[in-house]
Formats: sequence, C-alpha cells, structure tokens
Amino acid sequence: MSTDLAKKKKGGGFLSRKTQPTKENCADIQPDDVLMFTAPTEDYLCDIDANIYGIEFVRFKLRDVEQEMTLFEVARPSDSSEVSAADEGDSNLNKGRFVRYQFTPDFLKLRTVGATVDFIVGDKEVKDFRMIERHYFQDKLLKSFDFHFGFVMPNSQNSVEQIYEFPALKSSEIKKMVAHPFETKSDSFYFVGNQLVMHNKAEYSYSG
Amino acid sequence: MNFNALLNHRIIIKSLLNISEKMGLLTILKKMKQKEKEMRLLMLGLDNAGKTTILKKFNGEDISTISPTLGFNIKTLEHRGFNLNIWDVGGQKSLRSYWKNYFESTDGLVWVVDSADKRRLSDCKAELHSLLLEERLSGATLMVFANKQDLPGALSATEIKQILELDSITTHHWLILGCSAVTGDNLLEGVDWTIDDIASRIFTAD
Repeated sequence: MSTDLAKKKKGGGFLSRKTQPTKENCADIQPDDVLMFTAPTEDYLCDIDANIYGIEFVRFKLRDVEQEMTLFEVARPSDSSEVSAADEGDSNLNKGRFVRYQFTPDFLKLRTVGATVDFIVGDKEVKDFRMIERHYFQDKLLKSFDFHFGFVMPNSQNSVEQIYEFPALKSSEIKKMVAHPFETKSDSFYFVGNQLVMHNKAEYSYSG
Repeated sequence: MNFNALLNHRIIIKSLLNISEKMGLLTILKKMKQKEKEMRLLMLGLDNAGKTTILKKFNGEDISTISPTLGFNIKTLEHRGFNLNIWDVGGQKSLRSYWKNYFESTDGLVWVVDSADKRRLSDCKAELHSLLLEERLSGATLMVFANKQDLPGALSATEIKQILELDSITTHHWLILGCSAVTGDNLLEGVDWTIDDIASRIFTAD
C-alpha cells in the first residue's frame, strides 16, 4: 500500500495536488485530463454540490450476457445490504459516492458482461452529458469507458447498458487481483459541457 | 473513438466525395472508417409501440417488467464486429419535442409501430413523415418494425406499409418487417438489414 502511495505522489499533476475539493477545482478539470490519469485519484475532484442537475443513480445491475443471468443488482431505496458505504473520515460528505463491491473469484472469468446504470435528473435539462470511467488494478489501467449521453431530458429516468467483453486477464493477474481485495478501483467522472459535476469512486474485491 | 471524432470523419469523407475523386485518399479514409465500425441506431415511435421491449429482447434481457420510458434507454454492444449504440427514446407525446436532441450522428432510424393500435396509425404516419424531413436524419437508413404481430387483430406489415405510405419515401433507404418483440420474431433480421445497409453506404463510399 505504501509503495502505491509513493508511486502516485511521484506522478505529479492533479494526482499529487492535495486538494480539499472545491467548485474552483471542478472548473479546472477537463475530460482530456481525466482520460490521461494512470491511477485512481487520491481525492474527489469535485465537491458533492457540483451536481447542480440533481443527477442521481438509482440502479446498478451486472449480468452475464452469455448465461442470461443477473450477477448483481442494487436499486434504491431497498436492498442496500450488498453495497457497503465507505467508512471514510468524512463519510457524511462522501456518502453515496463511494461503494465497495464484493465478488467471487469466478467473476474475473466472465466473458461478456452487461453493466446497467439507471439515473434520474432534476428539472433542468442536461446538455452534453458525458461519463468517463477508469478502472485500475494497483495503478495499472484495466479499462476506460468514455460515453457521450449528450442531451438528457428534465425530470427523466434513463438507463444505459454497456455490454462488453471483459478485459482478457492473465491467470497470474487474476490470482493477484483475488489476493488483493479492494486494490481494484475505479473512478467515474461525469461532465456536463466539460464541467465536472460528479466524481464517484468504487473498490472491488474478488476474494468471495 | 467518440461520437464527435466519428462525426468529423464522416464530414471529411462527405466533403471529399464532393470535391474530389482522388481514389488513393478515399481508400485510406475508407479504411479508417472500417476500423472504427461504430454505428448509432435511434429507435423512435409512439408510446407503447414496444421500443424498449424490442431493445431488451434483442439483447437477451427479461421483458416481463417494462414500464413506459420517461427518458432514454441506451445499449452499447458489439454485433457482427460492429460497435452498436442503440438509443431508445420515450415516445409519449410530451417527450416527442425532445427527439430532435438525439438526431445527430444517427446512422439508422428504427421506427417502431404498434400494428394492433389502428386508432393511432394516422398519428404514427404523421410523426414518421415529419422525421423524414429532418436534415440531421437525411443520411439515415430507415427500418420500420411492424411490431406486435403476435397479437390477434394486428395489421400485417403490408397493410402497415400502405397506411404509413412508405412507398412514397424516396429520400431514405427503407425496409418494413413484421415482428414481435415478445417472441423475438424478425428482430435480428431487421437489425441485420439495417447494419448491412448502413455499412454499404458508409464503409464503402461508392
């Protein structure tokens, strides 16, 4: 763990800048910046109230497309038992933007996965909505999603499912990921017209 | 490859077609495009036509609990080596004014019809024909699904074709197929025809 931190520090730029996230920082960060990140950020890069559009995630689902089987589903408000909120220092502030997922080792052997996210927005229309999600294991980039939603209707409920081939992992990598729970991490950045409005983090364990 | 970059390539290809016949350069651009192989399908139609059910059935999802779409449903998937982005946008009357926000970069328009809802077919025809006048959809392939063929009393694809006056369409490549989102009948055929038609227009800039 300490070596990871040391590595990140050396990286410089955004990652090493010790920030107490503010709206001013938000204005700085562009999609092109986060697309160049090579490791999870240490901090949230925007304040929780940067989300002036009332964008809220209300369901998350993973399915095995080949077996036609739901692997994991969590919807608001019921059944939050599978997702444990992080026990961070400022847990109140960050509640809802950090989750830990616990999977079995078999998960890493899946081939085709469908990841569905449902979200609602408030009474303002959202223009040029874009999601960038970066997945890492021990500071190695596993996968990067970049999706342009474009326009989102006011007071709408929307869903997006990305069906994708799981990144091909070497068996040595799988072993390492299983042996190091929660060192697989992701940062999800949400932009509206190049303005960062949300930043969520997740950590994953595959040790069962 | 994001939508904007993709769009830019398309604009480049289009303008090159207009100004130049230099085959060498076109061949290179064609290859660039082939590598990306991304297509955007926009699925529209009146509410309760079965757009979301079609989308889910096509992707092997459970269709037993589908509620009216009050926004959009997107699926991104790989099919026959193409990266498909399928957009299903809610069809309620109050939402139709938002449809225009989703026209940009559309390669294929999938128009879904409730073949058993005879009362609203004139409404359905008017909405479709107004879409065909949209400049941002002018290059799109049109696939019409005469859905709900599993329902007794559903009109056939031929009858729907006549009522919607599809034969009058000369501005778009189009096809109509009877289908059932519940049984899955003809969904694959329709999507595959759409993909083939788009591919023949875009990836081989003839």
